[in-house]
Amino acid sequence: MNINGIQIDDTFAEAFNMRATRVLITAQNLKWAYHAANAMTGFATSVIGCGVEAGIERELSETETPDGRPGVSILMFAMGSKVLMQQLETRMGQCILTCPTAAAFSGIDSEDKINLGKNLRYFGDGFQTSKLISAKRYWRVPVMDGEFLCEETTGMARAIGGGNFLILATSQPAALAAAEAAITAMKKFPNVIMPFPGGVVRSGSKVGSKYKTMFASTNDAFCPTLKGLTNSELSPEIESVMEIVIDGLSFEDIAMAMRAGIEAICKLGDKNGIRRISAGNYGGKLGPHHFKLHEILGEVLT
Amino acid sequence: MTGLTFSLKKNPAYKVDCSKLVPDKLTGLSLQKILEITLNNGINVIDLFEVSGDNSEEIIFKNCTSQLDYIGHKMSRGNITVEGDCGDFLGANMRGGNIICKDNAGDRVGDCMRRGLILIDGNTNDYCGSRMIAGTIGVHGKVGNFAGFAMKRGTLLLTGLPKLHATIQDCGAHTLPFLALLFNSFKPLSTKFKAIKTNRVQRYAGDLACNGNGEILVLLD
Repeated sequence: MNINGIQIDDTFAEAFNMRATRVLITAQNLKWAYHAANAMTGFATSVIGCGVEAGIERELSETETPDGRPGVSILMFAMGSKVLMQQLETRMGQCILTCPTAAAFSGIDSEDKINLGKNLRYFGDGFQTSKLISAKRYWRVPVMDGEFLCEETTGMARAIGGGNFLILATSQPAALAAAEAAITAMKKFPNVIMPFPGGVVRSGSKVGSKYKTMFASTNDAFCPTLKGLTNSELSPEIESVMEIVIDGLSFEDIAMAMRAGIEAICKLGDKNGIRRISAGNYGGKLGPHHFKLHEILGEVLT
Repeated sequence: MTGLTFSLKKNPAYKVDCSKLVPDKLTGLSLQKILEITLNNGINVIDLFEVSGDNSEEIIFKNCTSQLDYIGHKMSRGNITVEGDCGDFLGANMRGGNIICKDNAGDRVGDCMRRGLILIDGNTNDYCGSRMIAGTIGVHGKVGNFAGFAMKRGTLLLTGLPKLHATIQDCGAHTLPFLALLFNSFKPLSTKFKAIKTNRVQRYAGDLACNGNGEILVLLD
């Protein structure tokens, strides 16, 4: 498959089952909602080292939030429910409770509930009070700026993490410009996040390492400076590769975001130095979800 | 389905205990069975009320007077609307659901209530919210003496400052974010509280004789 001079590899992205939650964060204005959300989703690029993968899903207007203030919704993904609960509580306590004017509400309904403010309330040292409003329980914790308001629980959903694609270009600026265009397009979609810095990761990994203590190491087949040293996937003109990783609430959500991202890159075309789109997988044996690039792009672009 | 409506035929000369006329106790009863319910003094429902409608989760008292006590007693769900005045102990021992009183209520509104919402468009007499364990009571009109007496937790939402006793303490004027959620939840209800535009209140905490985790919030302009 070739679109606008860009080769689309006949390969697939391999993704895994995860557990996810959504939290709505509001504040006096968007600036402070972002301060809270950025702190909460900071250091959450990969479950390997951060416990969770988290990101801001989208902005919320005053009419979309429970308390009528501006806010943002964040999504948080983990490999299991226990880690998700631990990370959510820790991050709520250190990032939302602490942030001036911020409040937090459940952003997802499900039978499985995880704690949002349920244990944070003890920070109130006995002065905390709860309110049951329209069958939802909220906690009011006295803090120095007034009152911290937080819903007791939020929902937990089954989700998918690790959707991805690779952008192969003739220069580092070209690869990054393509990745930025893709992220701009993909951020318009709900139910997905791209958890890496700016949505883009440059250190794609393979499973295993020559060092016994390492579970993963650099994806040498896609490292442009190793073209002569290793069994490289790269043709001579490729000088830089960027990856975009997508976590989403469903297969369709991820597939739609991937297609929008790849379409945005293809619009730039080979004249902007982009040569190939590929994807990362482990031979299809580790992850149950396979995002085949040709199938994702098939309906519209061929 | 239409709301189960109890229309008072004439004002009784004695106090009537309406605690049996709550959603919890009327679910699944036929109209005939409801008419046969014995209230206090050996009086049956049929002697006092005309009854119509079939939705026991939406109960309406019409032509209500201050002789009707214990409306909503121990209710745990559903809605009760009181058209007219009502007597003492409105929503006493309430465990959930909503009560809306379109006019005035008597003494001890929400006595010992644990959960739920009582909104009164008119006035209340003394001991409003007494011994309250939790929940919310709103009074749009005036409130008598000893509001919040021995309340442990819960919220009394008032439009004017009543005469408070010494163990209810002023905590200052505040803009409380949870009020936005509370007022949002009033939107589907038929009550004067829907017109409130402010989240700014004077907060009084008490009763300090019972831990002081209750609050009386007086709306400010």
